[in-house]
Amino acid sequence: MTDIPEMRKLLELAARVSDQAEVFHSRDDAGSLSMRNGKVTEMSATIQSGYALRMIRDGMIGTAYTKNLLYPGEMVDNALASMKGKVQAGFSFPGPADIPEPSGEEGSLSSMGFHDLHSRSIRVLDHLSGKVKDGQVDVAAGRGVAETRIMNTSGLDVRSRRPAMYIFASLLFPNTETGVRKLYHSSTAGDFPLQDLDGLVDIYRAGLPEVDIPSGRMKVMFTPDTMYTLLWRLSAAASGRSFHNRISPLQDKRGRKVLSKKFTLYGDPTDPEEVNRRFFDDEGVPTGEHTVFKDGVFRNLVLNLDYADKLGEEPSGTGYRGGMWGGETISMQPSPSLNCSRIAPGDSSMKDMIAGMDRGVMILGVLGAHSGNILNGDFSVGLNPGYYVEGGEIRGRVKDGMVAGNVYQVLKNISAVEDRLHETPNGGRYPAIVLDDVSVAAK
Amino acid sequence: MLDRLRSMIDGVRADFVDIRYEIKTETLVDFVGKEIKSVGSNRTDGYVVRVGRKGGFSSATVTREEDVPRAIELACEGADTIVATGGKRTELAEVSVVQEVVGLQLDGDPRRMDIDGKIRLTRKYNDLMLEQPSIETTSLSYREIGREKSYVNSEGTSVSEELVTTNIAGEVVAKRDDLVQNVRVAIGGADGFNRLLDRDDVFIERALIAGRLLDARPVKGGTYDVVLNPSLAGVFTHEAFGHFSEADIIEDNPSLRAKMALGERLGSEAVTIVADSTIPGQIGYYRYDDEGVAVRPVTLMDRGVLTGRLHSRSTAKGFGEPVSGHAVAEDMRFEPIVRMGTIYIKPAGNSLEDLLGMLGDGLYLLDGKGGQTSGENFTFGAQYGFLVRDGKIGPMVRDINIMGNLFSTLQSIDAVGDEMELSERGGCGKGQMNIKSALGGPSVLIRKMVVGGA
Repeated sequence: MTDIPEMRKLLELAARVSDQAEVFHSRDDAGSLSMRNGKVTEMSATIQSGYALRMIRDGMIGTAYTKNLLYPGEMVDNALASMKGKVQAGFSFPGPADIPEPSGEEGSLSSMGFHDLHSRSIRVLDHLSGKVKDGQVDVAAGRGVAETRIMNTSGLDVRSRRPAMYIFASLLFPNTETGVRKLYHSSTAGDFPLQDLDGLVDIYRAGLPEVDIPSGRMKVMFTPDTMYTLLWRLSAAASGRSFHNRISPLQDKRGRKVLSKKFTLYGDPTDPEEVNRRFFDDEGVPTGEHTVFKDGVFRNLVLNLDYADKLGEEPSGTGYRGGMWGGETISMQPSPSLNCSRIAPGDSSMKDMIAGMDRGVMILGVLGAHSGNILNGDFSVGLNPGYYVEGGEIRGRVKDGMVAGNVYQVLKNISAVEDRLHETPNGGRYPAIVLDDVSVAAK
Repeated sequence: MLDRLRSMIDGVRADFVDIRYEIKTETLVDFVGKEIKSVGSNRTDGYVVRVGRKGGFSSATVTREEDVPRAIELACEGADTIVATGGKRTELAEVSVVQEVVGLQLDGDPRRMDIDGKIRLTRKYNDLMLEQPSIETTSLSYREIGREKSYVNSEGTSVSEELVTTNIAGEVVAKRDDLVQNVRVAIGGADGFNRLLDRDDVFIERALIAGRLLDARPVKGGTYDVVLNPSLAGVFTHEAFGHFSEADIIEDNPSLRAKMALGERLGSEAVTIVADSTIPGQIGYYRYDDEGVAVRPVTLMDRGVLTGRLHSRSTAKGFGEPVSGHAVAEDMRFEPIVRMGTIYIKPAGNSLEDLLGMLGDGLYLLDGKGGQTSGENFTFGAQYGFLVRDGKIGPMVRDINIMGNLFSTLQSIDAVGDEMELSERGGCGKGQMNIKSALGGPSVLIRKMVVGGA
């Protein structure tokens, strides 16, 4: 980890003029490449770092951030000036915790160069080329090391170092930019499993015919990569922020069964399978398995320190600096966020799930998951792509179709949950889920 | 600063090298309900380097000045790897060498105003919304973002430009029992603080709409003829066509490139689409893009026929088309990519009543609630709408999302209205967030759109 003297100096300065202070530091060192239509089109690198400061004095919080910590005094002044807003803070920064140190076992990832990334991408390209008639193969790959360190005046000093690499393979249908995609993600240097690429080719081929379908209510399968459509809505409702402002549809429903008993949702950043494994959140609170829904019953809220205090709850290790649209981590205040979320697997194989759909749509990609009334649980998404299933067999990909509903209605009617979890580009691990009786609109 | 940047790239062994340094300032006042959640003014900075060598082209971004040599090294390594692996050959279109310092003309410079006034103004609008019937809470922020950009390249160009964007924006939430409805609100621009003053009516109106939505019914899914109001027509133009006019989207997909050749008819006779970031005062305004190229207006579609495209220097060269000044980055963490800036359909001669009359039966949909494009497919949401029967506006409906395909939808635009409105707040997340993605236009009548619904 870097920049310890600067962090300590900033914390000392802040401690002189506040009752409590916290310094957050992040650093990312990453490189990436894109291959489109068989050729490398882009290679880029980034080394970004920054600092965020929180100070509490007389029950009020002040905040500041910067990227180049050239003038620590100016940052403390900015935090003091922000106290003009009289933002209340009833919480305390957490004290020392027994948190595992970074292992440093990252293979050759931190030194992986463009040539290495390229050769791993070419392997993917070579395997797929020739199997995608008239379509296009695109590959994106990247490697990086993300670091986080937090110190506060309660004696906390924790750090995390997270090396990772990814390869993202896309097969585009002929004459379009629509396609099917598969992610390989690893915390050590590795290669895309060829059987996963073969699986992607099978999915691609099944979607080659375009089909018109009638509008109506039918079975709908959300595949793992599209699950965020439903989870954004549940996360918004389970957030301490929505509870504090009394706008959550889950208000007063704790301990009650609100969804199908087949649905269990939890987060676990400490999961050994997790590439971005974390043992503390962005406020220094220890992380662990945090269950939100268990067998359809709403169990727990998602909280940061602030909302835990406001609602009289224990912190849940789910306070992160981030937002739906990315943004600079240091510029955002910690907010409730269920990172590394998982939906518990069921007992159906993918093959059986498709065979069990007499008539329905299998959603492989969505457009517009962020549109609509998220807090109320409503969704209305374009299929991009979606496959039509009839008589238990995939018939082709749907032309201009949409799926809509309310998450609290559709998740009451789960007919099958896949028996394995898949890592998704949005960070969670989920099974596919088949829902009964969902509205599908088509041209 | 410009001289310092030039000294950083002097001596780099490359056919082309440029460097951009930016200072980004952000002032934020953030209300959730009655409560202030965050207040502050902060400053960040960083560098972006790009290198072109023997046809390879690569970039690196760094925070610290001492890392600039490493950034140059990484960009050189990237460019060389592209050449060594037979990757895409990148050349830049020739442009005039420019040396200019562009200042700001603001009607009220927000950077000279104290934070107390900004808190007072935001609180006033926030309270106005909270006072309206059925309103449970709000989320409202004052946000002021300044970019001081300094750009130097090895051809001799050096440009610095300041941009300041201000807005007060958020959402108002109405609730009854378990039903929650929200409506977005935004005022702002790139021409100073004073445009934020005396706008009470906007916030009251949005809160009243949120309250009315509690009694609206979810729209039934299906295919409808629709009239979009100017705000929503702007989102439609941005999502349905705008992204495909950005050359980098299609440059490496040969089949789509052929379908999007200039001279092809993609739209109906009613449709003329313009991208113009030179209109003073609007949020998308800038003089130079992040490659030091002056932005110019581009007619992208003229009466249904493709006539222009938005370019960076590399895509302009690759397509053999003129540069347009549309290579824009979110900030110093990113290299520039092609961004559309201010886009709109050119108004024609129909009043709203004319359009509703031509619609007959269908939906009148208002105000954008986000959109997304993936290739030629797009979706966008409406904040609310009305059923229309025989040209007459009927009951309010909610939960409206629309999907379409570029190659069929633009042909289905039947008529265009006579008014012209541009958005006061931008926000497009094509890899990077572009807060200057202005959009708008007149109302439009489109046939046979797929609308998702209950």
